[in-house]
Amino acid sequence: MTRARDGLSIDLRAETGRSTRVHGDRGRTQRTVGIPRPQRWDRPFDPEMTERDVDLVMETPVFQKMDPKEFPQNLPLRGILLNDARIRHYEHGEVIVRAGDFGGSFFQVMAGRVRGLRSETNGNGRSARKGAKTKRSFFSAVSQLWRNSPVPERRNIDDYPALSGPWAFAEEEGPRERLADVGAVLASQQSELLTEDDVFGETEALTRQPYNRTYFVEGRAVVLELRWQGLRDIRRCNKTFRARIDSLYQSRDLRMHLQESPLFRHLDDEVLDHIARNTLFETHGEFEWAHGFKRLASESPQEVVKAEPVIAEYGDYLDGLILIRSGFGRITEQEAGGLRTAGFLTRNETFGLPEIIDHWRRDAPLNHRFGLHAVGYVDLLRVPTVLVERFVLPSLPEEALAAATRDDPTRYLSDFASRREATVDPTLIDFLVNTRTMNGTAVMAINTDRCTSCDDCVRACAATHDNNPRFVRHGPEHENIMIANACLHCVDAVCLIGCPTGAIHRDQATGNVVIDDTTCIGCATCANSCPYDNIRMVDIRDQGGALIVDQTSGNPIVKATKCDLCIDQLGGPACQRACPHDALIRLDLRDRDSLWRWASQ
Amino acid sequence: MNTFAQRRFVNVTLAVLVAGLLVLFNTLYEMSLRDAAFLNGWLLFAGMVFLALFNARKKLPFLPLMAASTWLQIHVYLGLICALLFLLHSDFRLPNGLFEILLWATTVALFVTGTLGLVISRRLPLRLRSSGGERMLFERIPSFRAQLANEAEALAYNSLDETGNTAVANFYWTVLAPYLRKPRNLLAHLAGSRKHARRLENQIRELQRYENTKGRALLTKLGEITAAKDNLDHQYALQLTMKLWLFFHLPLSYSVLVLSVVHVGLAYAFGSAAP
Repeated sequence: MTRARDGLSIDLRAETGRSTRVHGDRGRTQRTVGIPRPQRWDRPFDPEMTERDVDLVMETPVFQKMDPKEFPQNLPLRGILLNDARIRHYEHGEVIVRAGDFGGSFFQVMAGRVRGLRSETNGNGRSARKGAKTKRSFFSAVSQLWRNSPVPERRNIDDYPALSGPWAFAEEEGPRERLADVGAVLASQQSELLTEDDVFGETEALTRQPYNRTYFVEGRAVVLELRWQGLRDIRRCNKTFRARIDSLYQSRDLRMHLQESPLFRHLDDEVLDHIARNTLFETHGEFEWAHGFKRLASESPQEVVKAEPVIAEYGDYLDGLILIRSGFGRITEQEAGGLRTAGFLTRNETFGLPEIIDHWRRDAPLNHRFGLHAVGYVDLLRVPTVLVERFVLPSLPEEALAAATRDDPTRYLSDFASRREATVDPTLIDFLVNTRTMNGTAVMAINTDRCTSCDDCVRACAATHDNNPRFVRHGPEHENIMIANACLHCVDAVCLIGCPTGAIHRDQATGNVVIDDTTCIGCATCANSCPYDNIRMVDIRDQGGALIVDQTSGNPIVKATKCDLCIDQLGGPACQRACPHDALIRLDLRDRDSLWRWASQ
Repeated sequence: MNTFAQRRFVNVTLAVLVAGLLVLFNTLYEMSLRDAAFLNGWLLFAGMVFLALFNARKKLPFLPLMAASTWLQIHVYLGLICALLFLLHSDFRLPNGLFEILLWATTVALFVTGTLGLVISRRLPLRLRSSGGERMLFERIPSFRAQLANEAEALAYNSLDETGNTAVANFYWTVLAPYLRKPRNLLAHLAGSRKHARRLENQIRELQRYENTKGRALLTKLGEITAAKDNLDHQYALQLTMKLWLFFHLPLSYSVLVLSVVHVGLAYAFGSAAP
């Protein structure tokens, strides 16, 4: 062995791809192990994708006219196709994606016929499919008791592709799902036919949403699948492709989205087509809104509201019913010269319906009684008032009309809240919108009236993550509710946008935002994008505790870490189950009732 | 999701029911001329072992072993039932042997710390919030305290130039520096007293009367720092108490378990050993 001396760095072992060094600094030693710095495309989407396959893709009309010179040298078009795309062959009846799956891929039919089928998903837009991520076995769970490492952020460097060679990033498929009787499905349900060069999945990939249709193959088909980051980069570099994708995103799924709303679901196809043709698609706010939000963090609530793009203002003429397609809207009402938050709207919720109903029934003035602001980024549809009055309202049941026209600002809170007005703190909704935590599907809320700071939650989190806690029991507070610094698993997960490798992604089955450690290159884009600072970059160490560094520069290799909702643990989130005082809960704020119920316990 | 009040009502009713049944069963057992001490003793021992398992559950968060909050509810109400069993087992009087007195005292101390812990867990979080300010992380309090001390020290040095006299600096070195350096008035905070804070406020106000505008501004700032430090002490005192009680309860519970095993051995060795 070689002993370290002050200021010296002595190479102890040099072998292919890695080296171990001992750095001496005034008597203290820091053992390091060098590996090649992780790069994008260390793990291609499909390692079996060849140059010949890329040639085939380049011959399709979508890619044929693209000029490779439009792409930067470090991000060539062929490189994107080679590393971020894969060609898949399907047999009759095989399902490509299911409605509710979180895939984040864009698809192009290269040959054959694909059918798109609208399927029911559960209330949260998630499929009923069992978790794609494997849960631990009972023994593996128990073994954490003695296998957890005393070394912080321990990693097995043999797992990293730079050392072990590339392998497929995509989760192993297992046996593909197949429709038992394609003929019967086609006869009983309406489906969209997609043939050669047709594309699908662009909306879901762009809006970070689950697929809203099930796509399956009729006959045989060859399909190109382009993962999200490839789609993003091609869209960014090629104007024609961007125009096509954006146009599809804005128009093709409009009718389908109308169908998702209970207001339009019962209308016949002819009427729905007529409404869809006359409906406006609008976007408000910034697509990558996190940085703007961080800039506003220190401003007063009134300044934050003022900075938000106005969708509709109090007193404006109500030209159309607003239907939120993605993102969030803040409902405001005038109070003492300022704007008070009355509630918020999210996907599939409407704005302006009571006013239209009153106008239709009693010829009341057609003006907005509330204002609507874009919180971050909002996609919405504006259905002309005249069409709503002519086709939608006459066919709605009386109880739906009565519920919508209840002259009560709390109607924007939730059913539970409006039933128990006295227990609802109206400023809580303001707090949730101002901190934008209403974006969360697994918000860690702590009741500080019950929390004893025992840190059992933190210890449980550490015990289930190799002794590394993945959250901080601290965060913004409103009265007795604290929103802790734990990943919210957002509806609009802006952290996903910039990841060059797709290491941060949604679990296909649960939609939880998770990080694949082996593909993370430590660029910190996700951590900088997270509006809530819930992603932490950490130095990593090998099994023996040596700091893992870049073998060229000697700088530490860092990885992004965050709460994964204990996705591989047997009992679900350990933090919630570990709280002895019922102080901590993971809440899906799309379900406002659950928040009010919890808050009013 | 039921309210906590509903849950409390259900749990109390169940606990009272179980306790009533145990007393009835114990009485019937005695009436049948058998030694009920063996019956209630074994029930008490089993209850104690189950109560101790709560801590084991905390060490196994990765297993689906019911939520810890359910365990705590069972722990609290079973603890109360065990207290009743303990009274039945000790026949509502002090034991006479030295070892038995030790076991009796340890068990009583265990019940007392448990009850105290329950009160602390329910009352102190409410008091922490009602005192205003955000909930601090306990581990970060010393660093915040050091920040405040540094800030105050810088102000004291500045005061020499800005006021042209040493009154503020002297006040800092004699009164504020020792106050800011360490946690102070912990018992007063626990008792809910504000006397110490008012005294400090008065001292600052008194000094302000003799200072020029700049000196008064400095003292106002120092007043804000001492108020912030007082809040830190408040958080420290209450959070420390919420953590510390367990350091008494846990060793006592292990002691009771060990002593109970010895007690069972002794009872069978020297007692009639016939139920």
